[in-house]
Amino acid sequence: MKLGARTGGQSRGIATYFEEASERLALEDGSRVGVIGGGPAGSFFAYFALKMARSAGIDISVDVYEARLFDQRGPAGCNHCGGVVSESLVQLLATEGINLPPTVVRRGIESYVLHTDVGRVLINTPLEEKRIAAVYRGNGPKESEPVEIAGFDRFLLDLAISAGANVVRKLVTGFDWDHGRPQIMTPDGAESTYDLVAVAAGVNSHIVKTLNSRDADYQPPETLRAFISEFHLGEATINECLGNSMHVFLLDLPRLEFAALIPKGEFATLCLLGDDVDEELIESFLATREVKACFPGNVVPAPVCHCFPRINVRAAVRPYADRIVWIGDSGVNRLFKDGIGSAYRTAKAAAKTVVFRGISRADFERGFWPECRNLIMDNWIAKLIFGVTTLIQRVRFLRRGVLRMTALEQQREGRKRLMSSVLWDVFTGSAPYKEILLRTFHPMFPLRLAWNLVAGNVVRTKEQGVREEAQ
Amino acid sequence: MSSAGLGKTYADGEVIVRQGETGDCMFAIQKGQLEVVKHSKDGEARVAVLEEGEIFGEMAIFEREVRSATVRALGEARVLTVDKKTFLRRIQEDPSLAFNLVQMMSRRIRRLSGEIADLRPGSVPRSQDTLALTEAERQIERRKRPDRRVNSDRRTGERRRGTERRGVASASAKKD
Amino acid sequence: MSVYNDERVPEDAMHPGPEGHISGMGVLPTALKQALVQPEQLRKTPPCNAGCAGGGDVRGWISLVAQRRKLGLSDASACTQAWNVITEVNPFPATLGRICPHPCEDGCNRGDKDGAVSINALERFLGDWALQRGLKLAVAERGNCSESVGVIGAGPAGLSFAYQMARRGYRVTIYEKQERPGGMLYFGIPEYRLPGTVLAAEIERILALGVELRLNTAIGRDVTVQQLRDMHQVVFIGIGAGAGLKLGIPGEDGAGVWTGTEFLSQLNRGSKLELGANVVVVGGGNTAMDAARAARRTGARVSMLYRRTRIEMPAIETEIDDALEEGVDIAYLTAPVAILREGGIVRSVRVQRMELGEADRSGRRKPVPVIGSEQDIPASAVIAAVSQEPDWEGLGELRDGKIWIHAGSNGALGDGVWAGGDALGLGIAGLAISQGRKAAEAVHAKLRGLPTQSISDGTGAADEPTPKPEYYAAIPRSSSPYRDVSSRLANPDLEVQQTINARAFFEEVSRCFSCGSCFGCEQCYMYCNGGGFSKLQEVAPGRYFSLSLDTCESCGKCVELCPCGYLSARPGLRSNEART
Repeated sequence: MKLGARTGGQSRGIATYFEEASERLALEDGSRVGVIGGGPAGSFFAYFALKMARSAGIDISVDVYEARLFDQRGPAGCNHCGGVVSESLVQLLATEGINLPPTVVRRGIESYVLHTDVGRVLINTPLEEKRIAAVYRGNGPKESEPVEIAGFDRFLLDLAISAGANVVRKLVTGFDWDHGRPQIMTPDGAESTYDLVAVAAGVNSHIVKTLNSRDADYQPPETLRAFISEFHLGEATINECLGNSMHVFLLDLPRLEFAALIPKGEFATLCLLGDDVDEELIESFLATREVKACFPGNVVPAPVCHCFPRINVRAAVRPYADRIVWIGDSGVNRLFKDGIGSAYRTAKAAAKTVVFRGISRADFERGFWPECRNLIMDNWIAKLIFGVTTLIQRVRFLRRGVLRMTALEQQREGRKRLMSSVLWDVFTGSAPYKEILLRTFHPMFPLRLAWNLVAGNVVRTKEQGVREEAQ
Repeated sequence: MSSAGLGKTYADGEVIVRQGETGDCMFAIQKGQLEVVKHSKDGEARVAVLEEGEIFGEMAIFEREVRSATVRALGEARVLTVDKKTFLRRIQEDPSLAFNLVQMMSRRIRRLSGEIADLRPGSVPRSQDTLALTEAERQIERRKRPDRRVNSDRRTGERRRGTERRGVASASAKKD
Repeated sequence: MSVYNDERVPEDAMHPGPEGHISGMGVLPTALKQALVQPEQLRKTPPCNAGCAGGGDVRGWISLVAQRRKLGLSDASACTQAWNVITEVNPFPATLGRICPHPCEDGCNRGDKDGAVSINALERFLGDWALQRGLKLAVAERGNCSESVGVIGAGPAGLSFAYQMARRGYRVTIYEKQERPGGMLYFGIPEYRLPGTVLAAEIERILALGVELRLNTAIGRDVTVQQLRDMHQVVFIGIGAGAGLKLGIPGEDGAGVWTGTEFLSQLNRGSKLELGANVVVVGGGNTAMDAARAARRTGARVSMLYRRTRIEMPAIETEIDDALEEGVDIAYLTAPVAILREGGIVRSVRVQRMELGEADRSGRRKPVPVIGSEQDIPASAVIAAVSQEPDWEGLGELRDGKIWIHAGSNGALGDGVWAGGDALGLGIAGLAISQGRKAAEAVHAKLRGLPTQSISDGTGAADEPTPKPEYYAAIPRSSSPYRDVSSRLANPDLEVQQTINARAFFEEVSRCFSCGSCFGCEQCYMYCNGGGFSKLQEVAPGRYFSLSLDTCESCGKCVELCPCGYLSARPGLRSNEART
């Protein structure tokens, strides 16, 4: 006691240190991590968490709960999205040492075609290189091509497995807390307790709602109904009609926000985003001659596969708490574009946080949330940009101006591609929306647009020539 | 050429980067092999053969220097370009993105140091141990990419040593 | 670089039109409608149920155990309930769990993945489990059923009929001419396959329902047919086919030669048989196999003669393997032509080689003798187990002159007489039990003026379920373990196979795909974007979710995901007003 009294100050200091250490929520040797969902967010998280933990010298185990192996054709093995890996994500993954093999990339996309009622224009990359990957999320549509193909999600899940993740092929049907630790329940009645759970369940499964009721702070993201369908056209027809281009439609249809036709192998994927897409909207969209013109004989064939997936249009509220974090679509996502890129970003931010910082709410607040916040802020700008594209959709003379400006840029070598690059980034989701907005502040941009508006609408004689050059 | 697969396809011998040019991007090999060739007044010498999955041209991302060597396709190859802009923008937000590059570069430095030591006059011939080390490293690499052809590793290793020993700048690897 | 080709697009399509799009009905309605898939919850008959000769709801009782957690059942009550489902149709699970050739396993969808579910071993476990716990057979809902029923023969058909009648409240008397009940189950099957105690205990449970059993009572000798008709409103003929057929070759009559059924029944009675060192068994069916293996256990060398090849052999496949393992020698394409005796004692069998000719009516290729191929093989005893037929002794008044009974549906012969079992034609025990039950169901319906309906009808729609094996985790099949050959031969009554343990039982149960019936995997519920599936409060095997099509988006995902094939596609498009 005496000794303790004499060195009182110091020993308290040490005690406090140890107290802190014992209370500090962090992964250590033997920690168990559960991941709900083996889509891109879940696989990226498992992959990075295991890699980073290894480099930090921590021995953790990661269980990824995924009932499906994405090897069934049709919607059952699919995670429902347009299946485009953006130009920026392709590059970032290559930098990470992750290269998508040709079995995964069903088509390398090198250009865009913008379709409007006043004509269309091909937007090429300056490098003329395929840097956008059109992939299947599952193992292809119903009755898909009998060649060796691999789904993107399966590829990533295998990547996670190669990094040491253990896939638990069970559906998660319940979630609870077991003495302050998250617990995952499966339909066979088994319960597993973890030190940390990452929820990567997307927005298209029931489990997100189940988790919501358990944790007062988290609120799942708001969603909208989108429409995705697959048309079987055959490789030759696709090469002829669509090529290695993604086809984007700026059409004046009510409630339509974005529409794209993406060629992949023998199929073309149609992706419609808007204010709750329904059959009426799909019908009027497919009935436009701009769309019909993309199909052989101007006839849209019956799709072999379709779904109405939900997309995240407003971020989840507080996607983290002690020992739990929500990533990918069930957390924060980029508006309309590059959902896989967002999954990569939030998953990696979460992985970095849990390995190098800790797994408490405060740790996520400092390490994980800033990445989410960047996405959310950028989504505000996105809304502004999409407001402008909607305006272009609605106002015909604007369409003429934009089309003309783009066409001229594409046609003339060496000319600064102001409009082309803006459109490219808006449609490919390659650059942050903020950067796109800043680019329109280039002094030449408004000047040139103004001229094209006049030229495109008044100097009608020139228009025909422009369209020809553009295509 | 198949519609699947990313990047740009280069024919045998086609140049991807040229020594002395300025560059603002790096590259990731998607398929095939590339050779790195250094030009000097004596002619040209192959300094390395790059394999599928490897990244090169990364120096241009970090410093404003001209390309230090020429890289061209060895047989048909598919190469993906990574823009400096994309990389630098992202690395502000996520410095760990450089991790894979740093690992790769440190592996290269280690390899080069070993080679320099071998070249020093009077030095002990490269021991089995150092060989074993690099072979072990390569095996780790290979495990990461199971589809990679196994034989090519050893072949390039032999080629490299052959040219170094002779010290003839214009020695062609094919003579080996 | 781009192959984008403009020439393809007609001029007018590219020309700016007055207001953009062409309105009206486009391509979608018909085109998309064709691709729409709406789910339907449809219980289908699984291959195990379809294959069960006894008409058992195999999936039904396995589900109760496999899904016990979801149903909130303890292990014990799940097993009890499962046993109750079995005994609805089959009061002999411990017996059939040992001897049934289990056609239920043949079509099991698990077969191609990692082996069929060991249904037979599961049934045996539950049968033994119930015997250990002394479970009683459940009585059926009783009305005012006071009619008296007479049953001729205490074999599987007669006992099954008696059981089904007694549990409905009828007064039942069984007349058995032998000194023990069980019929072929007792006299025809050796102890090493079915211990007499197991069979006796299962019969005892039936008698406990109030069935009167009169042993050593032969109709025509101790009771006349007329007396039988006077005493009972209904008579059931379950006399079986216990008379073994002879070979019809010289030297057959006399000591040292038995028919298969004679041999086995004497063996089971404990009679000491002088077989000598070389036993020749003729035939390739289960009786022949039982006789051969039983003879082998006396230490004799046993040769089986079969006139076709192994492929045509009607015996259970594993029994053939077991016999070979135990050292029984099987000579295929071989038939006896004479039994040679010296001083009345069997010395050898003259055999002839056969070759397969044209296919006969049963579809098997007919064996044809090879001329001049005779040879003699040493024999000290011969067991002829070639075929059996009903023994009509004393029953002439009930017989229509033919050897086999030709009954109407459910065994009806008219005039209050019904029949079932081997007397209708040789079959496995499960079939006899089911014939007894179906006759009882029909008798009950007739006496009570009810529509005839069987419990084994309607375990699902006729559609064959197509489960998705890849969904289910691989678990190796576990079947009843074998004892080694040397201890089998050293101890003739030792059961060759043992009952699986509880751990293996519960693991084996979990291998069931639940083909065509919902087992609550929750995939449809989890992945339906429209939220069409709702959890039911009261769950049962096959009933975990309700389905509403009001918000169905017709993507078909649930149908594709459903691992057991319970959800199927029905063509159709949701109505427009359903979408809000």
